This record gives sequence, structure tokens and C-alpha cells, in this order.
Amino acid sequence: MCFKVSCRQVLSRDIREMDNNNAKYINTVINGKAISAPEDLSVIQALWHSGYPRIKSVGCLEGVCGACCVMIRRNGAPGVSMELGCQVLIEEGMQVVFLAFPTPAKQSYKLEDIKNSWEVQSKFHEIFPEAESCRHCGGCNSTCPKAIDVERAVILATKGRFREAGDLFDECVLCNLCQSACPESIAPNYVGIFSRRVTAHLHTRPSNLINRLEDLRKGELKVIF
Amino acid sequence: MEKSISFSDAIEIYRATKERPLPDVSYENLLEKYHPDYYQDSCVTLNVGVNKGEICHAQLAELLQADARIDEADLAGAPVVDTDLLVIGGGGAGCAAALTAAESGISVMLATKLRLGDSNTIMAEGGIQVSINKNDTPQQHFEDTIKSGHRQVENKLVAEMVMSAPDVVRWLIQQGMQFDLDEYGDLLTRQAGGTSVPRVAYFRDYTGLEMMRVLKEAVRSSSIEVLDYTPTVELLTNEDGHCTGAVLSSLQENRYKLVRAKAVVIATGGIGRLHINNFPTSNHFGATGDGLTLAYRLGAKLRDLDSFQYHPSGLAYPQHLSGSLVTEGVRSAGAYLLNAKGDRFIDELLPRDKVCAAIMRECAEGRGIDAGGGSKGVWLDTPGLELKSPGIFEARFPKLIKLGHKSGADPRKKPLLIYPTLHYQNGGVVIDEHGRTNVKGLYCVGEVSGGIHGRNRLMGNSLLEIICFGRRAGAHIAKNSSRISHGKITIEHLSRLRRELTLANMPMDKKCPILFPDYAKFETDSDYSGLHKNIKDLS
Repeated sequence: MCFKVSCRQVLSRDIREMDNNNAKYINTVINGKAISAPEDLSVIQALWHSGYPRIKSVGCLEGVCGACCVMIRRNGAPGVSMELGCQVLIEEGMQVVFLAFPTPAKQSYKLEDIKNSWEVQSKFHEIFPEAESCRHCGGCNSTCPKAIDVERAVILATKGRFREAGDLFDECVLCNLCQSACPESIAPNYVGIFSRRVTAHLHTRPSNLINRLEDLRKGELKVIF
Repeated sequence: MEKSISFSDAIEIYRATKERPLPDVSYENLLEKYHPDYYQDSCVTLNVGVNKGEICHAQLAELLQADARIDEADLAGAPVVDTDLLVIGGGGAGCAAALTAAESGISVMLATKLRLGDSNTIMAEGGIQVSINKNDTPQQHFEDTIKSGHRQVENKLVAEMVMSAPDVVRWLIQQGMQFDLDEYGDLLTRQAGGTSVPRVAYFRDYTGLEMMRVLKEAVRSSSIEVLDYTPTVELLTNEDGHCTGAVLSSLQENRYKLVRAKAVVIATGGIGRLHINNFPTSNHFGATGDGLTLAYRLGAKLRDLDSFQYHPSGLAYPQHLSGSLVTEGVRSAGAYLLNAKGDRFIDELLPRDKVCAAIMRECAEGRGIDAGGGSKGVWLDTPGLELKSPGIFEARFPKLIKLGHKSGADPRKKPLLIYPTLHYQNGGVVIDEHGRTNVKGLYCVGEVSGGIHGRNRLMGNSLLEIICFGRRAGAHIAKNSSRISHGKITIEHLSRLRRELTLANMPMDKKCPILFPDYAKFETDSDYSGLHKNIKDLS
């Protein structure tokens, strides 16, 4: 076995695929540029392959960071869809637009300011006054790349059912697409994260953890080396 | 290399079965013969810097002994801003340090190459180690950690980490992080490979995502000033060589900025995107070892530069997803590893380095599965686990079901082809229990630091490490901040670096930190949003 690898030759497996001469080429349009790239590349890889130095909106490349939101129209399809660019393989005739780094949420709150669990609902309406104005248009649901029932979570949160609302958001990657889709400027993803956070902050009290903290406080446990 | 069995033949042979006995396994020279850390000629001796004369992986050495990206002319006219603390890196370690310091009332700036939260933290799946079960103690956590690290660890750091683990988890819950709980509200735990008891607390296979969401929200609602798309290209020093700030490059404004700080925390993570030894990686796009280069130039001592962790279960097929992580939690829940003949070949819950070497042995000796196009691997017997524990994937591993969906197969019905993927940098900058390096004013926390995991890390110890040492560094800096004043800011250390490189006859063509992997085609003057090609590509 030859393991000696020159550093100059070291490329990712992605690139070796890109350089495969036998690969079938696919024609797409990304950000208005006609791009031809080997099949089996994601939208981001296809952009790189064509010499565009994309850095913005590139993150984990595994679909959990929400950086690479793209709008996609597939060949012949009547509508567009919102997806994550690292998760979409290019297709013949596909049109792709990278969405600009969406505006961060304007809400700001500190969990410590919620003194007890009776106050959560009133605090919630102070922090997210728009949440009650939901028009049930379903825009948030149709943009969510993780297929979360966003609208339902917002409704649950306005009713004070934070645990249920938060549970619906367990796969949220904070891509902000739901926020940009909302005509009432609700930030549904932040409603979801708020719901999750207050639930843990005020209600997660594992006795096995608390017992161990108590043992440590009494100095009963030490590490000897 | 022996010829492997083809994917289609192997899937014909495969049958889902609940139980399979482990045959006799030879461990003789397993690591020495098959683990990538032992590849001949992959390491070189460093010629410059404080680790001169020591062994280092060749690809990392190329970064540590490279020229800087900037010189004096670049700094002329660059604006200077002051802060008490500058944190470099927006993952879990950086956020923990920044939050802890800011809570104490000092001014904190956090500069990140991509966006806040874009990091390996967000991709962590398995969980966080904390000894809370009745049959467990911090001492056992300590013993497991040092044993797995082949005893090449800094005992004091490990002791601090395991003793603080319960408080780390309490802090995370206070920040609003959820964990998987049992019916009485107790934390559930899973077993990490190489540990004596189940000790890993988790949230599904989204532990890192849940942690990072919460930390991002906490940072966003704090006084911390966050600079997105602002990689750090150099550190700044005073006349005594103390770290006094950094040179940031704002990609949005296409200009340099100087930050004068009383303390700097480097929390830039690891090096997966260097694709060490030509491996695919489970790492984030930004994991290019920037912090190691920056710290080394300032005279910070590094350690274990020849030791990397390859996660046993990276997806090997289909090719476009190769390197994607399949959490160790799946093996922890009882999934077997099988070769092409359908036989087990290793105790699946040994430490990662041994399991990884065993997989490579199967493939090298012709018992692997060849999926064509250079993809090979062994089976992760997910259908067998679903048979043993019906419903477990839906309840515990939703991310894996999604990954299977993308690769065109349901992991509950078909086994996954896996092969080791470059996962973690075991070594890094030498630190003390407050995250301090040997350079005054410079702290390092998280994956960029070394000494905690020795030569092999346990699952769940990195999420613990980043919060534990991030908080400790933040608290230490805040406590001492009022006694320190801002220093002079120079790049004198670069003159020394260039002199040393010239004297050692080293090439000066590479500029570091590299910031992005070469396939992203980034140049200093690139349009970072990728709407225009680089000038040199237009010809």
C-alpha cells in the first residue's frame, strides 16, 4: 500500500468526483449564471466547480446549519421551492437562486428575566407581539426545508402551550425562511426556539443530575491521579 | 490491497438478524498496521517555531511553516477598535467563553469566519459525557478518558473537565437546552465506545444542533458584539510578545480591521477540511486549522500534531454524501459492524481508533464491500438493530433516517455502507486549566487546544470540553480584566517568522491561515458571495 500523499495532491473526495472525466454533465442556471457541471454535485459544489468562489451561505454541508437557503425551480415545474443548497443535487434545467443572508430576528430577551413559570405567557406576548396576528396563510409551512408544522407551533405558543410548540421545532436549523415568508413579520423560528428554551429553563429538573451536583457540593467526590 | 466483494453481491448475502456472535478477533498490531496515524512518511519534523525538531503531520506542518497573509502595508489606514475580550470563532467553545465573560460585565467582541454558530458543534450528534448514573463517578469518567487517550493526556485538565461536567449540563439547561429524559424527567444516557458505563446525555441525534441553537440565542440577546464573515488573519503583539489583539478581515467590506483587546480567546476548532491523509471529512466547511497557525506564530506551544481521530462510521455510499457522519449512538444502541460475508469483526464499542483500524483491516484484506468509484466500506447493521429494538430509529435517530432518505435507502431496511471519516484533531495548543497558553494574553479553548483527549477522544467528551473550558476561560479573563490595560499592537512576530523561514530555507509561497478549503476557490479579493468568477479563472 502506498500511503505517501503529496500535500499538493490532497483534495477532497468531492473534488475527485468533480474531476472525473466520465461524469455526465448537467446544465443548470445558478444565480443567473449558466453552469454546466458533473451530475452528483450539490448546488454549492456545482458553483465551485464552475469557478465561482462561494463562501457566503456555505456552512456545515450536512443540512443542519441553515446557511445555504436557495430558491429552486425544477425543469417544467409550475412553482418554486425553498431548500438547502448543500442538500440539493443539480438537475437538468434547474434554476437556482441563493437567498441573501436573511435579516436576523429583532427580538431580544433574557430567560433570567422570566422569574417563574406563571409569567411565561405574558412575557411571550411582550417579546413576540406579532405572534397573535397569524393569518393562517401557510407561507411559513411551505418554505420550511425541514417540513416543520411552523404555523401550528406559533398558534400553540400563543396559547401558552410551549412544550408542544417547542417539540414541533426539534429539527429547526434557524434558516430564517419562515420569517422571510411571514406577512405579519412574525419570526416563527424564534418563537419555536423560545418555546424550547423556556421549557428546559423552567421545567427540566433531572433528579439524577441534581443528586450528583449535591454530592459534588458536599465534596464527596474527588478525582485522584 | 485484496479485491473486495461488490456492493450488489454483498447486499445479496446480507440478512438482517437480531443477534450475531463476535468471532475471535486479533488485536495484534491493529493500530500500528492499519490506523492512519501510523502511515509511513505522513509526518515531518518541524523546522521553525517553538516545536522545532518535533514530529508533525506533513499537511499541518505546511500550514504552521507558511508565510503570513499580511504585512505592514496592509495595516495602514485600517480602523482600530478596542474591546476587553476578543473571541475568535463562533462555535460552542467561543460562545461559552463570550457569554461567561459578558455576564461578568466586560466588553466582548466575537469574530467568526462564517456566521455565528457555523461550526463543528452544530454537527455533533452523539451527546455530552456527564457521570450522573448511580454506578458511575467522576473518577471512572477520568479513567475512561485517559485510557482511551493512551494516557497521553494532561491529567489536571481531564480532572477539571470530569468534575465540572454536571455543572456544565446544569448551565446548558439554564440556557434552555433540552435533553432526552425518561418518564420521571431524569437524563437518559447512552454508552460511548471505550467507556465502562453509559454516560452520554443527549438530545436525539441532534445534540450539537440543540446546543448551538440555544447558545446562538443567548449570544444574540447579550451585549456581545458579533462580527459575521470576519475571519482573523493575524494576531497582534506588544513589545514583550504578549497577545494584544488581532487583524480581522471583513469579507463584507473587503477591508482589514484591527481589534485591540486585553485578552484573545482562540476557539477556531479543527482541521477536517485539510482532508488529512486524503480522507473525506465529517467536519464543517470552515475547519481549516486557522487557530493553530495563528497561535504557533506567536510562540504558543503545540502538542500531538501527528494524531487525528477518524470516526469509524462515515457514510461511504452514495459518493456525494461520503464522509457524512453516522452517530456512534447507533453502535451504542447495539448495531453491529459486518464485513461483506455478514460476519462481525470487532467489538463495536471499543474506542474509535481501534474500531476504525479494524474496518480498514477488513477492507485491506478483501472482506470489505466495494461500491465502485473508489467507495468501499463495511456494513453498519441498522436493520438488525431495528429488529432488536423496533422503533428506535424513529425515536432516537431522526437525522439518520433523513440521511438514509437522501441516499435513497431506509436504514431500517438496508444496512449502511460506512468507512472511517476524518473527524477530530486530537492535539492542539497546550493550555492550562483556565485555557491559558504560554503566550500572555492568549487563550485557546475547544478543539484547537490539546492535552485533554490524548491520542484518541471519546464520544461526548468534546461537547463537554468546549463548554467546560470555554466557561473557565471566559471567567478567568473577566476576573482579571480590570487589572490589565490595552497594549501596543504590532506584527513584529511576523518579522521573526519570515527570518526563521528564510534561514531554514522554507518555501514562502503559501499564505496562511488558509481560511477556506482550496475547492471553494477563495482568493483575498474574491467576491465572497460567488456572483463573479476570480480574475485568474476568467482567462
